[in-house]
Amino acid sequence: VEVRECLEQNMNNSRGFAMGSALPQPTLQHLRQALAGIDPSLGPCLPEPGQIIGTGVPDIDAALGGGLLRGALHEFSPTAPMHLAAATGFAMALTARACGTKGQLLWIVTEFALMEGGGPYGPGLDLFGLPSARLLVLRVPRAVDALWAMEEALRCRALDSVIAELADDAPADDLTTTRRLMLAARQGGCPGFFLRYRATDAPSAAATRWQVAAAPSRSDIYGGLGRARFDLSLRKNRRGSCGRWFIEWDHHERAFQPKISVAMAPPALDRPDRAPAARAG
Amino acid sequence: MSVPSSRRYLSLWLRRLSTDRIERRLPAPADGPRVVVASIESAQRIVALNDAAARLGLKTGLALADARARYPSLPVVEADFEADSALLDAIADWCDRYTPLVGLDAPDGLVLDITGCAHLFGGEAALARDLVVRLAHQGFAARVAVADTVGCAWGVARYWHRETRVVVPSPLAGEGSLELQHKEWVRGAASPLTHSCLLDAQRSPLPQGERARDASAGCSVNVVPRGETEAAALPLPIAALRVDAETVAGLRTAGLTSIADLVSRPRAPFAARFGEILLRRLDQALGRIDEPITPRLPVPAAMAEQRFPEPIAREDDVLGTIERLARRLDIVLERRGEGGRLFQTALFRTDGVVHRLEIGTGAPLRDPPRVRKLFQERLAVLGDVCDPGFGYDMVRLAALITERSDPVQTGLAGGDRAEEIAHLIDRLGARFGLRRVTRLVPQDTHIPEYAVIAVPAHAAKEAPAGAPPIEQDSLLTVRPLRLFAKPEPIDAIAEVPDGPPIRFVWRHITHQVTQVEGPERIAMEWWRNERGQKLTRDYFRVESKAGTRAWLYREGLYGDEVKPPLVPRWYLQGLFA
Repeated sequence: VEVRECLEQNMNNSRGFAMGSALPQPTLQHLRQALAGIDPSLGPCLPEPGQIIGTGVPDIDAALGGGLLRGALHEFSPTAPMHLAAATGFAMALTARACGTKGQLLWIVTEFALMEGGGPYGPGLDLFGLPSARLLVLRVPRAVDALWAMEEALRCRALDSVIAELADDAPADDLTTTRRLMLAARQGGCPGFFLRYRATDAPSAAATRWQVAAAPSRSDIYGGLGRARFDLSLRKNRRGSCGRWFIEWDHHERAFQPKISVAMAPPALDRPDRAPAARAG
Repeated sequence: MSVPSSRRYLSLWLRRLSTDRIERRLPAPADGPRVVVASIESAQRIVALNDAAARLGLKTGLALADARARYPSLPVVEADFEADSALLDAIADWCDRYTPLVGLDAPDGLVLDITGCAHLFGGEAALARDLVVRLAHQGFAARVAVADTVGCAWGVARYWHRETRVVVPSPLAGEGSLELQHKEWVRGAASPLTHSCLLDAQRSPLPQGERARDASAGCSVNVVPRGETEAAALPLPIAALRVDAETVAGLRTAGLTSIADLVSRPRAPFAARFGEILLRRLDQALGRIDEPITPRLPVPAAMAEQRFPEPIAREDDVLGTIERLARRLDIVLERRGEGGRLFQTALFRTDGVVHRLEIGTGAPLRDPPRVRKLFQERLAVLGDVCDPGFGYDMVRLAALITERSDPVQTGLAGGDRAEEIAHLIDRLGARFGLRRVTRLVPQDTHIPEYAVIAVPAHAAKEAPAGAPPIEQDSLLTVRPLRLFAKPEPIDAIAEVPDGPPIRFVWRHITHQVTQVEGPERIAMEWWRNERGQKLTRDYFRVESKAGTRAWLYREGLYGDEVKPPLVPRWYLQGLFA
């Protein structure tokens, strides 16, 4: 009823505007507020600082409107099967930023995914910036079980992050399913990370959808491997524009570093690089 | 002379178990004779028979050929001892509704310790009668006796009527005949039966049914009052002492037929002639030495149960009942300062099937809504396994394992996060099994696949700090993010046999190696066996042209552990971000 009144008022106003007597802007604002009063999720979404996970890269944060929304579902998929670990790495890096120093996280994985892509490896996670002591791993027999467990875990307010790995996309290619998960995430205020094994264009209620590939790393002056580098494509963003970025993960600082391109920033060989300082690990 | 015992035992004898099993499966009630045969001493002999066959004069042990000679059209069924024993197990399960202490008394009986349980059913006679009536409705002829000792109850259930020639009509045939039974008893053998039992039996009329009436022939209920064990046991025949046929025959040749004959004579000669077992059985029957029963199932630390006059079948009702019972358990456990670690719900279906659901918890639990929630997950998984059919008429919740749980001060801010997580683990565990919810616990070894193991989360309290620190000597993390439990064989090409790879093929895709770090040599522990486990590994961190970063290793040192012309094999074990 309230909305209808607003709409009527709005129409009257727009008629008025056509006649040049009223401004539409306050009315639209009023309408938005009225909608937000009915369902908070419909209102203009201006997250508080505690509600977002900032990547620390200005370009990406600007596109995301400050960062990834905490109480929401985010999807990650590799551009090709061999980039699965890169997609995992990006999700893990975001998780490391979301969990802070104390949070607990749940990693849900189907038996098939364990065989297909390998399991999370404790020492590797520790070095990557995500202490494995805070990780709970749930093995489930089927993909639908993973979805159920994810919803259950998202509603539990004690977790800081929930990751579900799906080798088989079929059960999650459903708008209703993802919407349920989205609602659960909003209720629990906990980010849900969906790790798909292959990219999909199926509709989804997720707040963002990323495609991740590993990019060749920049080696140090001794010719060794550089830091993990990701080629990110933001394919879907409910709160802003999409884009493509190259970033590096500094596991020591737990921070992303923007990299424009390898070719545009050649290694500075004439003066000492900052890299050896970080080599201590 | 006898030690006054505080316990009360009920002995149940299913006298026609084998034939009842066969006949209750028949579409129509069968009156005809039927015998069950098995091959004994290279001859087909009768091992069980029904009442109609017994009236024809057939006996167990008779050769089938002799029986056939007399009655050529006699229906014969092959014995199936396994089915009999499974059926007895199922009946024992069902008897759990009366007491948690149910012992098997193979091949065709059960012993129930009903101490302190009888009043719930309106007295011992009422309990026993309820048992017999329900079994009769299922088509079983049962004889039941209640006494102070297992031995006495056993003997009275099996031998009282047969040897004293008391005609025992069915307790199901009506009140009159029930009275007759007791009167006969009183007249026949100076029975110690009291009249309270008789009145008890008369109070409520018994239900009757077609099948029940058929099966009711030979059903009986006898209650030996407290402290009257000797009076009941002495007139019984010696076979009532649970001794073998040889001993019975031996004593009969000596002119001794009843227990009273034994009691009045010196003990030493019996022990010398028949062994100690005879006197032990005698003492057990008379309550001179104790004889505990061995319960089939573990006895719960605490339990609560509820019966329904009208069966319930809806899941919500069952869960609501579980929550109510949990509330009652909560009071008991709180008084003891304990919480449950393992809960079991037993759902007794009206047709005698018993469903048991178990849930384990990570921490001692008492909170009723949480118990309900866990059972809800369990029921959701079991689904069709727990078919309520015509409904459950009794629900029992038991805490099988309890543990000390000290009260914890809760914060003003509400729920504790650790507790919330523990409850989530329990919920996920109830759904998928507690072994599937794991934590990664580091181990003190350098071998990558053993460096961390998955431990059930409810068991892993604190991560032990025993892992050796890994030297981080690269910009990239030196350990991968994902590790294959089973290293995947790859085809790799190296410039020199012990050099780094320049190209490798993994899952049908060729990767050109652009950058490489290594080798990192990891030798196997000396106690690893020879079956391919002992070879030293040289690990390489490689990056391909496309950017994929992988952890490869070469198994075996070229020229040392692997002699030419054999070449070391390559594996891919993990993937870096």
